[in-house]
Amino acid sequence: MEILSQLILNGVIAGALYALMALGFNLIYGVTRFFNLAHGVLAAIGGYAFFTLSKTLGLNIYLGAAIGVAVAGLAGYGFDRLVYSTLRKRKASNLVLLVASLGVFTTAQAALSILFTSNFQTLSSGEAGGSALSLFGGVVTRTQLVIIFSSIASMLGLAALLKGTMFGKAVRAISDDEEVARMVGINTGRVTGYVFFIGSAIAGFAGILAGFDTGIQPTMGMGLLLKGVIASIIGGVGNIYGGVLGAFLLGLVENFGIWKIPGEWKDAVSFVLLIVFLIFRPQGIMKR
Amino acid sequence: MTKTDAILKTRNLTKQFDGVRAVDDLSISIAKGKVTSVIGPNGSGKTTLTNVLSGLASIDGGSVVLHSVALKKIRPFDMPSYGMTRTFQEVRLFEQMPVLDNVLVVLTERSVFGALFERHGAFHEKQAEEALKKVGLWEKRNEPASTLSYGQRKLLEIARVLALSAGRQTDIILLDEPFAGLFPKMVKTVSSIVKALRDEGRTVVLIEHNMDLIRELSDHVIVMDSGKFLAEGRAAEVLERRDVIEAYLGE
Repeated sequence: MEILSQLILNGVIAGALYALMALGFNLIYGVTRFFNLAHGVLAAIGGYAFFTLSKTLGLNIYLGAAIGVAVAGLAGYGFDRLVYSTLRKRKASNLVLLVASLGVFTTAQAALSILFTSNFQTLSSGEAGGSALSLFGGVVTRTQLVIIFSSIASMLGLAALLKGTMFGKAVRAISDDEEVARMVGINTGRVTGYVFFIGSAIAGFAGILAGFDTGIQPTMGMGLLLKGVIASIIGGVGNIYGGVLGAFLLGLVENFGIWKIPGEWKDAVSFVLLIVFLIFRPQGIMKR
Repeated sequence: MTKTDAILKTRNLTKQFDGVRAVDDLSISIAKGKVTSVIGPNGSGKTTLTNVLSGLASIDGGSVVLHSVALKKIRPFDMPSYGMTRTFQEVRLFEQMPVLDNVLVVLTERSVFGALFERHGAFHEKQAEEALKKVGLWEKRNEPASTLSYGQRKLLEIARVLALSAGRQTDIILLDEPFAGLFPKMVKTVSSIVKALRDEGRTVVLIEHNMDLIRELSDHVIVMDSGKFLAEGRAAEVLERRDVIEAYLGE
């Protein structure tokens, strides 16, 4: 019984983190229609921005986290202005954009290694993850509780933004038909820029939370990106609600998958789930 | 027509596709406050002209002046702000969004931070409601656009341009074959909308095939053939001209 609740808890914690990655990834995909591989490195940028501000410069952790999230958002916005929107203006195909985003990913990751070395760093002070609590017979750290709650809060916040504001309507219009959106007076380039900011800021937030839970290193982005992408594909690419569902499913399957086998097989379990979906339900749980 | 009457002018306008001149050396004016029909046999370049005038396709040669601004200088998403709104021959809606949102979205705040935080205000909702009531789709406001019938889809697109140009007397409303494929009852709805616009002194450019509707609705007719200007004048006169009839018969 205890093992069962611990596995569920672990699954939910992992899922919450993947959900944050999937959220930003799907938001950006919905508007731009390309696989933004650089999305992963924004998590690392968020983590290192926080590391510099709060651990090196000693800023208050909440302020540090807020600025770290903003730095990741601005970095994502900058990548869009500098690279993707320039390419889009030249009518580059989505394949070109995908390759460009891989370039952005590699370059930014290398820059992080140069600036901060490739050593592993922890963000939390004192014992890893803060004090542990007992919940439904399982053990969960304070950090992990923060991950779960802030992930849910981000989802609700984003859903409210997309549903309730003019900006959200513009985003949905662009996902539907970018050309018509432009013809009816929506500044699609600007809205896309905002979307990059918001999506990247969420990734930065995920990076900071992951850093608190396990630590940061420049290459952390790839792992988070892969899980975010798998969650998106399982849930339905471009559908932010589907992505969240996919993320929790992925987190749970991954953790239940290693119930009887060694933990190193976790990633293999995720990919098996991905392959199963690609074969039997390629459109994901929720179609766009 | 005096110079000040023209709201939109093309001079030696040319647009090519793979070496074919879809619009060829075309110089026309669209008069303010009138319904101008652009007609011509299939492949005469009407749709290409529509795409160029609305900023969807680039200009290859010559110039277009809209409200004394060179069209080349207007960014595509600024076209409605400069007074150009259009419908599409093949209706293009935001399929996943409800009917009401399809109209509300065109009223989006365009300022930098306004866009992020503004909720649609009562003012916007009123405008959207008016537009939807004009086309008779208000009852369907909460249904996704993808569930509408063919005719309703055309009407929704018209509601969108009505909302976009609401209260903007000098806008050009470009309707690309708004009657094509409609049932007689809906043809009536659309033609009464066009008549209402004409009575309000709005500027409408109508791309149309149905001669009866052209006679009934237009103040002025421009005939195109093979991308070139062929004739213009009052519908009754132009449609009797031998060269116009021949252009159609030669189709």
